[in-house]
Amino acid sequence: MDRILPQPTPETRHFWEGCKEGELRLQRCAACAKSYFPPRPFCPGCGSREVEVYPASGRASLYSYVINHRPRPDMGAEPHSIAVVTLEEGPRMMTNITGCPQTPEALQLDMPLEVTFLKASDEISLPLFQPAKG
Amino acid sequence: MASGIKDKVAVIGMGCSKFGERWDAGPDELMVEAYLEAMADAGIEPTQLDAAWFSTHVDEFGTGKGGTPLSIALRLPNIAVTRVENFCASGSEAFRGAVYAVAAGAADIALAVGVEKLKDTGYGGLPVANAGTLSPQVAPNGSAPGNFAQLASAYRSKHGVSREDLKRAIAHVSVKSHANGAKNRKAHLQKPVTEEQVLNAPMIAEPLGLFDCCGVSDGAAAAIVTTPEIARSLGKHDLVMVKALQLSVSNGYESQFNAWDGSYFHTARIAAKKAYREAGVEDPRRQISMMEVHDCFSITELVTMEDLFISAEGQGWRDVLDGFYDADGGVPCQIDGGLKCFGHPIGASGLRMLYEMYLQLQGRAGERQLADPVLGMTHNLGGSPASNVCSVAIVGREGA
Ligand SMILES: [Zn+2]
Repeated sequence: MDRILPQPTPETRHFWEGCKEGELRLQRCAACAKSYFPPRPFCPGCGSREVEVYPASGRASLYSYVINHRPRPDMGAEPHSIAVVTLEEGPRMMTNITGCPQTPEALQLDMPLEVTFLKASDEISLPLFQPAKG
Repeated sequence: MASGIKDKVAVIGMGCSKFGERWDAGPDELMVEAYLEAMADAGIEPTQLDAAWFSTHVDEFGTGKGGTPLSIALRLPNIAVTRVENFCASGSEAFRGAVYAVAAGAADIALAVGVEKLKDTGYGGLPVANAGTLSPQVAPNGSAPGNFAQLASAYRSKHGVSREDLKRAIAHVSVKSHANGAKNRKAHLQKPVTEEQVLNAPMIAEPLGLFDCCGVSDGAAAAIVTTPEIARSLGKHDLVMVKALQLSVSNGYESQFNAWDGSYFHTARIAAKKAYREAGVEDPRRQISMMEVHDCFSITELVTMEDLFISAEGQGWRDVLDGFYDADGGVPCQIDGGLKCFGHPIGASGLRMLYEMYLQLQGRAGERQLADPVLGMTHNLGGSPASNVCSVAIVGREGA
């Protein structure tokens, strides 16, 4: 089964275009300065439509995770992590941690992470995170 | 100010099909099975029904959209049929529609039926969806067990519970439900299991093993509601009354802000508070006689004990291990086996929960009968911890 992929919409296109180009893009509210995710055309904090898109640092820390031993049918057969990471800019994001063993020993809470992109199709690259190098 | 639903509507008939892998029956026959039991129970004719509410979640699998599947299956006398869908809480929505119609005076007698026919897909879980508000952004990486397992990580971290203690507590949740389900001839799974079996089962999403996850089932359930006056005119007495009906729906707070810690259900706490106020319940741990909650995963049931304010925050796992929610405990939970064992035909589950409360309140629960229950509560959840709909209903005796 092919991996189920998101479909960009007018509100989310900038995010997926960014991922395709290897850049994690967040939005920030001009009125209250809050950074937010997931993408939407107005600020979830104050409702303002004065929002801008900007490139995030790609740095994050591991907030929480589980190891899924019986993955969803489109996610392969090997146990994998489902993680919540806190981006350096503040928002949290659900993702997978890659580039390290999928074990509690390798996945330590608060560990520093960096974004990496999995090219899943011509249109979609999924933002995943790996242990920060250096 | 709204006066609430308390004591305005009586349940006069309920029915529930056998749940399970029903290769022998299509959705039509499942609906008929539940409906005929409810109609015989109520002792009324189809011409006495004024309106019906019909719940099904995955209409793509043979049941169909709209109101016609119910009307045609039951040959209803061309009355209004409204189809409702609200994830796994759809059955509670059908009940809510029927109850409100009666309370509003728009219908004298109303019918609610929920059905789901899922086992024909040949797949154990729910079909993977990829549409709707925000889901393509926040959930391209998860799974149902994976999303609910996060509750366990967050709960352990917040309350300082060791993996072993929490694993044993959630194992007890399932052992208890299997013990109850073994006394239910309509249940999908009727075998007791031991704590050892649960602890040693294959891992699905850490720490949830096979027995920490409910499956899905084929089945249908039905309710018939009317005013207490009409119920009495039909010769009914010792009525089962609706005391509270509440629904709370996520608005993005959990998934888009960092304030939610992932260890509880924000909506369940709101719905529970409102339901207690509506029913006039001040001390739920003492006043609620029994519960059917949405135990899609064992950890869901455990945190729900706190979200419904039965257990103190951080103490639910201790109450579970103490047997407080066992059949002979302080507030018996999942007396019929719950989603875990009675089964989970999505559109029917909310009505199935009410069915057990109804039987118990009438003293008709057979081997599972509790001593003298007065108030029964149902908790029916749809969605995931970060984005969900949560329905809480309370039913009880007249005067309670
Ligand atoms: Zn703002």
